[in-house]
Amino acid sequence: MTDVTIEQLGRAPLHVLELWGDPKAAAKRVAKALGHDLPKVGKAQGNVLRLSPTTWLVEGDVTAPKQTLGDGGALTPSGGGYERVRLSGPAWRSLLMEGGLFDAESPAFGIDSVVTTPIDHIAVTLRVESENACLAYVPASHAVDLLRFWQLSAGGLPR
Amino acid sequence: MNAATINFTFDGKALRARPGQTLAAALLDNGTKLVGRSFKYHRPRGILSAGVEEPNALVTVGTGGRTEPNTRATDLFVYEGLVATSQNRWPSLSSDLGSALQLVAKALPAGFYYKTFFGPPKLWLFYEKFIRRAAGLGPAPTEIDPDRYATRAAFCDVLVVGSGPAGLIAARDAVHAGKKVILVEQDAKLAPSLLRDPHEIESKPGAAWAEDVAAEIRANGGKVLTRTSASGLWDDQFICLSEKLVEPGQVPANGFTQRYWHVRAGEVVLATGVIERPLTFANNDRPGVMLSQAVRTYVNRFGVVPGQRVVVATTGDDAYLTAQALRDAGAEVVAVLDSRAAPAGQDSGFAVFNSAVPVTAKGGKNGVTALVANLGGTERTFACDLIAMSGGFTPLVHLHMQAGGKLDWDEAAQAFVPGASRWNVRTVGLAAEPAPAETVGATGVAKQAFVDFQNDVTVADLDLAWREGYRSVEHLKRYTTLGMATDQGKTGNMAALDRIARREGMTVPEAGLTTFRPPHTPVSMGALAGLATGEHAQPTRRPALYDLHAAKDPIWLNAGYWKRPRAYPVGAETLAQAGLREARAVRSSVGMCDVSTLAKFEVQGPDAVQYLERVCQTSVGKLAVGRGRYTFMAREDSLVFDDGTVWRLEENRFLLTSSTGGASRMATWLSYVRNHLCADLKVSLVCVQEHYAAIAVAGPKSSAVMAKLTGAESPRHMSVVDARIAGIPAWVMAASFSGERAFEVHFDAAHAEAVWNAIEAEGCTPYGLEAMELLRIEKGHMVVGPDIDGRLTAEELGLGKMVNKAGGWIGASTLHRPAFVDPLRKQFVGLEAIDGGSIPEGSMLVRWIGGEAEGHVTGSGLRVLEGGSIAIGHLKGGHKRHGEELYAYSPTRKQKAKVRVTSPHCYDPAGERYRD
Repeated sequence: MTDVTIEQLGRAPLHVLELWGDPKAAAKRVAKALGHDLPKVGKAQGNVLRLSPTTWLVEGDVTAPKQTLGDGGALTPSGGGYERVRLSGPAWRSLLMEGGLFDAESPAFGIDSVVTTPIDHIAVTLRVESENACLAYVPASHAVDLLRFWQLSAGGLPR
Repeated sequence: MNAATINFTFDGKALRARPGQTLAAALLDNGTKLVGRSFKYHRPRGILSAGVEEPNALVTVGTGGRTEPNTRATDLFVYEGLVATSQNRWPSLSSDLGSALQLVAKALPAGFYYKTFFGPPKLWLFYEKFIRRAAGLGPAPTEIDPDRYATRAAFCDVLVVGSGPAGLIAARDAVHAGKKVILVEQDAKLAPSLLRDPHEIESKPGAAWAEDVAAEIRANGGKVLTRTSASGLWDDQFICLSEKLVEPGQVPANGFTQRYWHVRAGEVVLATGVIERPLTFANNDRPGVMLSQAVRTYVNRFGVVPGQRVVVATTGDDAYLTAQALRDAGAEVVAVLDSRAAPAGQDSGFAVFNSAVPVTAKGGKNGVTALVANLGGTERTFACDLIAMSGGFTPLVHLHMQAGGKLDWDEAAQAFVPGASRWNVRTVGLAAEPAPAETVGATGVAKQAFVDFQNDVTVADLDLAWREGYRSVEHLKRYTTLGMATDQGKTGNMAALDRIARREGMTVPEAGLTTFRPPHTPVSMGALAGLATGEHAQPTRRPALYDLHAAKDPIWLNAGYWKRPRAYPVGAETLAQAGLREARAVRSSVGMCDVSTLAKFEVQGPDAVQYLERVCQTSVGKLAVGRGRYTFMAREDSLVFDDGTVWRLEENRFLLTSSTGGASRMATWLSYVRNHLCADLKVSLVCVQEHYAAIAVAGPKSSAVMAKLTGAESPRHMSVVDARIAGIPAWVMAASFSGERAFEVHFDAAHAEAVWNAIEAEGCTPYGLEAMELLRIEKGHMVVGPDIDGRLTAEELGLGKMVNKAGGWIGASTLHRPAFVDPLRKQFVGLEAIDGGSIPEGSMLVRWIGGEAEGHVTGSGLRVLEGGSIAIGHLKGGHKRHGEELYAYSPTRKQKAKVRVTSPHCYDPAGERYRD
């Protein structure tokens, strides 16, 4: 009996959005297409996660933002390379402390926070969905190993 | 005390312990004094201490894979079914044949090995068998540990090491200041010093007070970890903790036996306390000679009185508490030997002898029977069965020192205390302010007066090393083994320093200290490995088609972290047979190979060409949409470090591929170029290595297969088209690594199996890396690693004609360095065997056997259809040496082959087979 549920969600349409030149102008256009602002560094909004100062990860259909990009940026498909895993339950933060070096238990890592951090030597992008759940984007080639690691670790979390 | 209800065994003898007792306490409770044999001389040893500093009572615990050797009986809490075994004895602890070494102890001085075992190294292998049997600690387990070890990160504002009163108060203050706190205690109980010396704090019994404070810390969000030792402290308050979830050898309820913590703390408070020092006198290692505070711990905490007639020998006040505890428990305190002059201790109510020191303990393996003492110049013998000694206290400063701290000398305590800290680390409690004590030096026969009990180092050994010129403490440590191994000099180092200082005529601080290295207390290797054991010792990357391959039961190859099929044997085929069959299928018909692990990068944007022409040594801008080309990349020094293909998918959209093995390096390099060298370019760079699966389809029938699968004419060589295979969108790129007409199909990895199955259904033979090697070596295609090893220029690799003459690529400015025109630089060549036989891979290229190496073989194979050994390699001035005959010679494998230098392209040099 563990306090965390590990749910493999499979792959999803994902694109990396990168803006250049005058990113503010392009960002405005993309935001209009998305219906919300592009999230700030370390944050997510809607189906968009900020990965770096100039890149975002967009989940789902990108037809509308693609049409607005023009020469201000690019969208690159990348969903085939990620397994999505949902960690939920009261101990999901505790589980992320296993084999990691990031403070997943920090209050600053709140809802819609985003971070890419090594867990068991594997670079994983995390998005806090709610106080009860976190979505992990795991490199597909490492997914089997990391799921094993999480499942084993979940059975031995400190009380 | 509770009744003894816990069953355990020691050397097979069934015994019982009371709840909460350590193994040491339980053994004493059962009247067992002889617990182990010493490392070198096999001297009988008992229990010296009551904590992790124990050098004598080392036992092996557990059975099978849970066996743990060298566990301190004083740091092991007894559990039901505990199996403990003594070490370093044969045939039994009581009758140990190794103890005969005591008779020849004079012939085994410090540096014995260095002085004795001269001769050829091979002789060491002979000596080793005897040395290992005669000396050493417990044997390592031979079975696999069935338990798991967790590795965990933690963050806090304040981490407190040690739960004595000073540590508890520091932690409580911190939580009340709103800090996030972790408090760690290596004992199973909080504030063990309050169990040894019960007294009230804040109007509560000490133990209850400690529990209340811990509860207060927890209630305010703090974390309290018992059975947890801080094993190392590094820069920026990074500290590692080793937590025992169950006792050594015990079966864990949830499979986890230990947890290793990586903690990043804002501040570290060290409340580590002190270790009592032994006195140095003859036979001070006999069973029944114990540290004073340890005796008090056994009496007051564990309800065990280790002796009934006791002599207390001390250099300070603390031991009088022991005398009182013994008297309260009903033991007779025969005498207190106080090294200090009168009137020290005279008002204690005991028979105190001032200016008195112990000289020789009498007795044997079953305990002491008497103590000969020097009472201010006259000797007197006291009959006793226990000697409780106190030679002062050594503050535990190891963590402070590991983190780069300085030490100060406390003259009153005759001890090093923490000085300035490099990081936000402070020490509180007794570790900062040890009790006053004096140093009395060694007494009795030096050869029998032990300084380092665990490593059998005596005062005589120190003196010998000093006489032989070992003045530096570091040298002396290594020569004598002082403070080595699991002991780390906890009880012995200060006595040794005192001895050296006296010989040198200097003070202890002038004598210096050895380096404090983590861990101070042993950490299980399993804790460091965590869950990364066995087949999970390193990450395994599985390509999208892994399950499909696995169903074919291939011979796997670990290519870096990737798991890739090397060959798909049919029936009883060997690797070589399967590889050759698969390669021949490609040469004669059509084969298919999973090449998903190739590095792949999408490059988009109006400045994509400009970016790629910085990265690639070939031109890119001239490519029409729908066309691709072979390319290669150089570092700033103009030496080629990777190669691949670049495809123009749209006007401003490219796919760049490069080697599997160099994928991570290439991703870092491209990102560096993008963000630092080309920061102003309007370009997007995304690694899509895992997004796209890729399958190579190769062979004379491949074009027909692709046409059937896509329903369209196959693209011509080095062209790319959009297509659908099994309904899945894909790029079909006409490119060949095998030398045959061939295609690479790239598509969303989520659909990998559907595409593979559709292609295989067209009669394609799956081939693995073994066949790929044969094919590409015959064709003279290079791979990154052996062929492109980062030491040759494009010209030397035979790629000079493809270099973008307009320059602009990284490394262009250094291409014409004078060193590159040296005619003896190595160049890429082909080789063919002249007299049959295979060409040893990795062998040297020499003009005659024994001659100077002029190159080496980077890849060895054979002509796939015709037979005959061929190879590729690097050879000095090789481009102008075609036709020359050499030897490929491997002295390590004792293999050789006579070879002729050729062009690397042994198969279809004109490239006619690429085209339909």
